[in-house]
Amino acid sequence: MDTLLTAEIVANSPQFRRKSSIFVDAIHDLPEKADLAPAQLYSTESGRLFHSGRIVIITVGLPARGKTHISVALARYLRWLGVKTRIFHLGDYRRATIPSGEDMPDDYFFVNGKSSSASSVLLRQKIVRKCREDIYHFLNHENGQIAIYDAVNPLPSGRRSLAKEFAKHDIETLFIESWCDDERIIEENVRRVKISSPDYVSWNPEDAVKHYLTRISSRIPQFQTMEEKDLNYIKMINAGERLIINNQSFGYLSNRIVFYLLNLHIKSRRTYFARAGVSLEADSYKADASLSEQGEDYAKKMTECLLAHRESEHRATGEQGETGYEARPLKVWTSTRRRTVETAKYLYEKGYTVRQRPQMSQLHPGVCEKMSEERIRAEYADEVLKHELDPYHHRYPRAESYHDLAVRLEPIILELEREQNDLLIIAHESVLRVLYGYLMACNAADIPFLEFPRDEIIEIIPESYQNEARRIHIPQLPQEIVPASPEDLKIPVPPSGIVSPIQGLNSPQGGASTPQSGLRTPSGIRTPREPERILQEHVEDVV
Amino acid sequence: MALIDMRYVQSDDSKICVVMVGLPARGKSLISGKAMRYLGWVGVPARVFNVGSYRRNNTPQPAANFFDPHNEEGERMRRAAAEAALDDMISWFNAGKGVVAILDATNSTKKRRQWIYEKCSEANIETLFVESICDDEDLIMTNILEVKTTSPDYKGQDPELAALDFRNRIRNYEKVYETIDDGEKHYTYVKLINVGSTVIINQIKDYLSSRLVYYIQNLHIKPRSIWLSRHGESEYNLTGRIGGDSNISERGEAYARALPELLRKSGIPPNTKIVIWTSTLRRTIQTARHLKAETGFEKLEWKALDELDSGVCDGLTYEQIAEKYPEDFAARDEDKYNYRYRGGESYRDVVIRLEPIIMELERSENVIIVTHQAVLRCIYAYFMNVPQEQSPWMEVPLHTLIKLTPRAYGTDEERFKADIPAVSTWRGKGSSARHQDYTAANPKSPEQEAPSEAPAEAKEEK
Repeated sequence: MDTLLTAEIVANSPQFRRKSSIFVDAIHDLPEKADLAPAQLYSTESGRLFHSGRIVIITVGLPARGKTHISVALARYLRWLGVKTRIFHLGDYRRATIPSGEDMPDDYFFVNGKSSSASSVLLRQKIVRKCREDIYHFLNHENGQIAIYDAVNPLPSGRRSLAKEFAKHDIETLFIESWCDDERIIEENVRRVKISSPDYVSWNPEDAVKHYLTRISSRIPQFQTMEEKDLNYIKMINAGERLIINNQSFGYLSNRIVFYLLNLHIKSRRTYFARAGVSLEADSYKADASLSEQGEDYAKKMTECLLAHRESEHRATGEQGETGYEARPLKVWTSTRRRTVETAKYLYEKGYTVRQRPQMSQLHPGVCEKMSEERIRAEYADEVLKHELDPYHHRYPRAESYHDLAVRLEPIILELEREQNDLLIIAHESVLRVLYGYLMACNAADIPFLEFPRDEIIEIIPESYQNEARRIHIPQLPQEIVPASPEDLKIPVPPSGIVSPIQGLNSPQGGASTPQSGLRTPSGIRTPREPERILQEHVEDVV
Repeated sequence: MALIDMRYVQSDDSKICVVMVGLPARGKSLISGKAMRYLGWVGVPARVFNVGSYRRNNTPQPAANFFDPHNEEGERMRRAAAEAALDDMISWFNAGKGVVAILDATNSTKKRRQWIYEKCSEANIETLFVESICDDEDLIMTNILEVKTTSPDYKGQDPELAALDFRNRIRNYEKVYETIDDGEKHYTYVKLINVGSTVIINQIKDYLSSRLVYYIQNLHIKPRSIWLSRHGESEYNLTGRIGGDSNISERGEAYARALPELLRKSGIPPNTKIVIWTSTLRRTIQTARHLKAETGFEKLEWKALDELDSGVCDGLTYEQIAEKYPEDFAARDEDKYNYRYRGGESYRDVVIRLEPIIMELERSENVIIVTHQAVLRCIYAYFMNVPQEQSPWMEVPLHTLIKLTPRAYGTDEERFKADIPAVSTWRGKGSSARHQDYTAANPKSPEQEAPSEAPAEAKEEK
């Protein structure tokens, strides 16, 4: 093996390339603390769920069929469930090996040995070998449970030998094929994710799409859809219009994946988060009190602000002349707690659909209800210590931990994926933290520290590769209701400044951004991170 | 304040007709029955319309040639039965109570399916076709012998002859059977081939359908049992207080020690692995402690199995609740299933949080669950199909192990009492504000009762 080449691949390894910040989705980051997952049901010594083995999920499909979208969405869900998951995009390995600026050999993607040169075959093998070594390392030595191997895998022979090879290492395989014969979906995909590449700067979009598609078909001449009855596979046809499941030996996780994929769609829609208004008995959980006058005022201003924002967005899109654009309807979800239902009142009166979801009740405070921090520290000194060690998983007596809350919210997550309309979620800060944590792939340890000031509506914009969040400032709210909720659980946390989960990226109102852009670790140290945009390159990899 | 009453939890207000498709003996009725039970339990009003039972009104015990497609009289009568079933279904929907109807029949031709699809579309009802295909002859014969020979069509006939007649009846259907194919790709459908080894899911449009499909996919037919037990008597039980997170009493500890033997006595097939599930509260963990230590079974603690949260009433006795919150006390008796304790939960809320547990239970094999009264009532209600009005009032005594064994058409129940006395925590509807005294309510107190060996078999209604 060419050691120089290997060293180069390692140095350029995807692990060093993909760093996001907390205001951009962290799905491509490798969690630093592996033992913290938002909705893990239980933990074991190995860190793996015991009723499922190790699985390599292998994607199958031509470029522009949404494989990356599926890989990323699945990784987001699985990690949130507490399954240690990592995506291995073969394209990253190729890019790490072939320096940017240099073109890859024209015959690089010809899977048929006869039509590609010896040097290309060798290069390809090296890249694949490195990627596979990393997969083994992750599964064997880093307690990984699911590796997602994102490549084209066009031929049955190659797929069978992959399954066989992994089986030798006692690793199950699940193939997920994305198959598409609807030209509109393919073109839309190309337009959305592929032609943003530097190759197509200053191209007319229509020409760029055509050029891209021609390149795919000349470079990957052979592709055979999956019919291998001896393999475990899920075939998604036309972005979820139909699913074919060939179940040879599906375990717990494979079944969960099917359910998740059943709800996944590729339509782009927005999710908004807003806090509930201030209530009359803000410090009591059990009272479940109605909104105070200030709360009513907030509900009104929040509604006006959101509708004005949507209106201006709609106008802007119309002016850009995007074809086929229609305003998506807005739906509202609240919990069954009085405060959240009443905050949706104005929207309800305007005719928007409002649904109450009992799963979205706030974190239960248990014995800590109505207690000052001082008193909790005095009465439950031991618990406070434990809490400071692990604020995400620790539960005060009779209380829920964030982890409990995340498990309780799982059905909501699936419905969130299913929903095709824009969605406003009005909930308590603790619920927003967990939902935000899912959509933005936050590390579980950071979730209890996310803050959602009341004068901001958070807007999440999904992209195939990663989600983006931005915030909308609600003007003219009295200062005293803005910071962390007074009705919030008085769970002691280490002294801190304010942490807002996102920076005011592209805020349409030019909203004031909080001066920080860092993530506070429980020890109070901030690790500043710069946002990095990752571009999709033009062709994917075949093996 | 606008009152937004949203009892149901499914995503849209659409009405769905689940149309079963498949030859006889493909498990259609099994899937229909389970789906109805599941939906009813999560609060989605559902009903099965079995075309066979409409047909039986006119021809109670037809011979196989009745089902021959060339038998015009038979064909006409079967068509009439389908029409009657569909009409009843549509008027059930129009009465405004239904959300999901399950049309249980073979629906084996494209023509028949198109007719159903059109009828439903006219009435604004979404259709979800569920086709079960099986070409494993052994599986089919097992199904026939187990299920069909006990069918009302063959009441009082020789099982061997009945099976043979039934096989012939199937042949008649096979002559005209058309599987769902690409000509029907505009339908929402699921095709299950050989008990789910291949599944095709087409055009799922809403969350409720996806949940149903996921549920159906998780069903398996391997034999297994589920054991349910409350925690051993707790310190709060002794003082009549509800909720809390107290330790188990001395008698509770005795039950914990007796549990491994009680489980053995209930009958476990050799080499069976059982997984122990508890809540996160002390009393269930303590109750399962010895069982775990003696058997080495895997154990999971689920927050979702914690007791119903009684909010402001947590830690009070029923007398105290009646005194402090008299209106709440009465309101709870009025509609216990929907009553949500101030700042706490209702039974409906508990069912919603238990749904993932039920999905997991359907997928799992042998499980023993040590949990709390309200939670146990909800899980029991799912398996035994207890209506919502009744389930919160069900009596589930302490120190008793319930063994549930799912069968094709229902669930067998056996109860095993440990000979360890405990207080009763049961309070009848409208009764005074105290736990009912076992000895007063029932002259034969459980303390003196020998452990019940004779299984009380409760067959679920078909």
